[in-house]
Amino acid sequence: MENILEVKDLCKTYIVNKRQINVLRNVSFTVAKGEMVAIMGPSGSGKSTLLYSVSGMDRMTAGEVLFNGKSLSGMSENELSRVRIEDMGFIFQQMYMMKNLSVLDNIILPAVKSKKIKESRKKTVERGQELMRRLGIIEVAGNDINEVSGGQLQRACICRSMINCPEMLFADEPTGALNRSSSDEVMDELVKLNSGGTSIMLVTHDAKVAARCSRVLFIVDGNIKGEYNINREEPLRTRERSLNNWLMEMGW
Amino acid sequence: MFFSILKKDLKRKKTMNIILLLFVILSTMFVTSSVNNITAVMGGLDDFFDKAGVSDYVILEQYRGGAPISECIENTPEINGYKCEHMVYVSEDFFEKDGERLFRSGSSIMVMPVGEGKLNYFNEDNKTISSVDRGDVYLSAYFADMIGLSVGDRFDLVFGEQRLNVRFAGISKDALLGSDLFGNPRFILNDEDYAYLTSDPKAVEGLALNIYYVDTDNIKAVNAALSDNINVVFSGDISIIKKTYFMEVMIAVILLVASVILVIVSFVVLRFTIGFTIAEEFREIGVMKAMGLKNSSIRLLYLTKYIGISAIGAFIGCIAGIPFGNMLIKSVIRKMYFSADNTVLLGILCSLGVVLVILLFSWRCTAKIKKLSPIDAVRSGQTGERFRKKSFMQLSRSRLSTTGFLAANDVVSSPKQFGLISIIFMICTLLVMIISNSVHTLKSEKLLYLFGTTKSDLYISCTDIMFEVDRGTITLDEALAEVEQKLADNGIPGKAHIECIYNVPVISENGKDNIRFQHCKNTKASDYVYKKGTPPAYANEIALTETAAKELDVSIGDKVTIDLYGNVDQYLVTAIFDSMSNLGKSGRFHEDAPVPNTHISGYFDMQVDFDDHPDKATIKERAELCKEIFDCESVMNVSEFVEDTTGVAGALDALKKMELILTVIIVIMISVLMERSFIAKEKPEIALMKALGFRTRSIIAQHTLRFVITGVISTLLAAILCRPLTKLAIDPVFKMLGADSGVGYEIDSLEVFLIYPAIIAAATLLGAAFTAIYTKKIKASDTADIE
Repeated sequence: MENILEVKDLCKTYIVNKRQINVLRNVSFTVAKGEMVAIMGPSGSGKSTLLYSVSGMDRMTAGEVLFNGKSLSGMSENELSRVRIEDMGFIFQQMYMMKNLSVLDNIILPAVKSKKIKESRKKTVERGQELMRRLGIIEVAGNDINEVSGGQLQRACICRSMINCPEMLFADEPTGALNRSSSDEVMDELVKLNSGGTSIMLVTHDAKVAARCSRVLFIVDGNIKGEYNINREEPLRTRERSLNNWLMEMGW
Repeated sequence: MFFSILKKDLKRKKTMNIILLLFVILSTMFVTSSVNNITAVMGGLDDFFDKAGVSDYVILEQYRGGAPISECIENTPEINGYKCEHMVYVSEDFFEKDGERLFRSGSSIMVMPVGEGKLNYFNEDNKTISSVDRGDVYLSAYFADMIGLSVGDRFDLVFGEQRLNVRFAGISKDALLGSDLFGNPRFILNDEDYAYLTSDPKAVEGLALNIYYVDTDNIKAVNAALSDNINVVFSGDISIIKKTYFMEVMIAVILLVASVILVIVSFVVLRFTIGFTIAEEFREIGVMKAMGLKNSSIRLLYLTKYIGISAIGAFIGCIAGIPFGNMLIKSVIRKMYFSADNTVLLGILCSLGVVLVILLFSWRCTAKIKKLSPIDAVRSGQTGERFRKKSFMQLSRSRLSTTGFLAANDVVSSPKQFGLISIIFMICTLLVMIISNSVHTLKSEKLLYLFGTTKSDLYISCTDIMFEVDRGTITLDEALAEVEQKLADNGIPGKAHIECIYNVPVISENGKDNIRFQHCKNTKASDYVYKKGTPPAYANEIALTETAAKELDVSIGDKVTIDLYGNVDQYLVTAIFDSMSNLGKSGRFHEDAPVPNTHISGYFDMQVDFDDHPDKATIKERAELCKEIFDCESVMNVSEFVEDTTGVAGALDALKKMELILTVIIVIMISVLMERSFIAKEKPEIALMKALGFRTRSIIAQHTLRFVITGVISTLLAAILCRPLTKLAIDPVFKMLGADSGVGYEIDSLEVFLIYPAIIAAATLLGAAFTAIYTKKIKASDTADIE
């Protein structure tokens, strides 16, 4: 299957108090189109750094990331911005949105800004509303962001990430700040999106969340220590148990 | 821990703290300099007159026949004593440099030997000029500045057959004749040099001038005693003389008003910054509270920081304020005696005042700490009890571009913050607008009616010709005919006329007073502007100013008796008018009034109206030609004439430019400070926008556009308020000069509504855009650090 993301010898170094800290050390992996990959690992292992580096949000120190065959490291800031707004979607752990905008306006903002889909603003609004309807939050469209629950807000973030029909979605602990029920709802939506063909790469601490992906990359001290393929045909409980066993083997 | 938190705060918020420090420095500078200046000018004027020894009443005498003033003084029991200075007055022919006439403006120059001085005259260092070396000369500062004389310059004094080469030894601070408004410079010479210069009796004839300084407790009685003395050129009590320094005081007052506004702006910004810093740190404050720190300890933490900043700022501001204040008031210091004894003490007191005000602000702002609770640390400052609607505009319904929409939405969503910035910008813009309106008005023909003249093509100071009229060698009609003949000979025929001044005694039921009347037989009384009543239509009708009518206790319809040099008759008051001539105490005769031209006390510039009614450009060309024809530099069009008469537009023009520079600096600093605060506050949103794919350029544009919107709002508000506020602020100034109903202001639309707003908008744009570039440092990956 064709790869949407190819990561080769990715290194990321920070200088803290004149000390060099190697957060990622020669990380290499690929993500195929339509795949849903989870990145797991202990705190401080470099999961989020990896996600931000491969999504072009942060510059890598060395190595190469090819997105749809194009190197992100060779792109200018403006080209990266274009790729982010048109071809990628992001979901963050903290459901951060623009404070002065309503939920619907937050969702349609990337579409209004982007020139990817040529359409009237009315049409964009209709698409935003349709996404909200699909994710069951249409009733809060006109609300301020501080007037909705965490689960609703995270689903709104998913709508926002989907508004430009991206090829790949990056999520940094999308359920980290949610309760179990909201977490399940959000994961249901992500799985649905993945079933529709959107590639997804997410960072999580939660084996139950990771169990709904097709593959898990386990990262320790900036290196991928292991890779686990999940059989999504199996019942979720079975997948979760097998994944937990594997994680225990990896030292989780 | 306390100092460790403080140290980290100072390090982390370096930019904000530096800007705060700059505002404290500016505030202290403005307060120190303006308080010093206003104390110096207001108190200094009385001090100057006391030190100079000016008496209660001053009389200028020029012998025209009749009883000498000394005789009149001896016969007035209400006069307790007097002193007299004898001198001569000369025309501009008086001095030359390298064979060329040095000065050609038309003012009469008083020449006095130092031994005759009965007042104290001070040099630039405020030392009394008690002697003048042979070959040296001292003269009034405004005159030396006007003709560009520097200390040490040499020139010739020419008086009849006598010629003397002298050196400009320095300025003399002359209480009586030193103001711009009086307009007659005084030369102080060595006694022997004076004797040599005036040794030609033919040259001195008719040019003797005496100044009497009279001690009295009854000004009214002295007024009445002098009212019919034809030798009086000018008479007035000390309060009127002090009024001639009005323009100098006005500059100081405008500076004070400007400084007060700038201080208010600085304090408002300080208050905003302090309040903003505390509001932004809800999390830290919440955590400190959760750890068990008391409110007072947390408040002390912030207060310590502000005490440090304000103490350093006040110290620097205090030191910088003294030279800054002197720079502002430089033009006034050259004309008046000032005691600088209290400058340092005042500076220290002002600085302490600034520190105290800042601490009060800080204490008041830190009161908010009491309201914050540990729960704020966990709930991002929202307690859940009071959610405020934040989104006012809707992107889904807007036709604006994303950048435009986000900028506009930010402005309407944070009305308090952006409203405050708008008000500050509006005040700054209004300040420049008001000064600009004052300057343009002081140059505009709208003021012409206040000087009791009509509009003419040119105003010429034909001193040579009028000097002859003064000496009685030619009549006024002959002088006018000569001017017209010269114009015709040069191919620019026109009519000439001149406003003459007569000091005449007027008797009403309230008693006897001396009023300065204007008369011009070549214009009609109906050509002038009157506030109430109808213009004088017959020879026995007059118009009076409000001040003159009040002093005589008469109104329209009343009759007064006027002694026109022996021709005593009753005159009907038919109109009231505004005039700044003689500080508002004057009258106007009908053109056919039987006024003898042989008794002119003074005159205005010769007015010329060309027969072919030329356009402005042609008038300008002819002005140059007239300078050659009449050998006189002082040939002015109407606005130049007004500017020259008020004598303050130039100083205000300089003040306006300085004010504009200060305003631009303030606006840039406010833009930088505010934008930097916004970036600090909106870091998560900026990071999010970048993560969503917004380019840095578009974020900078959004941030800059917010300030542009604020700038436009403030400019619009300033434009609306400009006229009424100019009237409110400046009318009292004109009223004190005699324009009782205020004046119609001349607003230069291009300058006030386009150039200044554009400059201020550009400053705003520059400050905001350059600061917004800092958003480049915020990365998309910073989204991960959002708290």
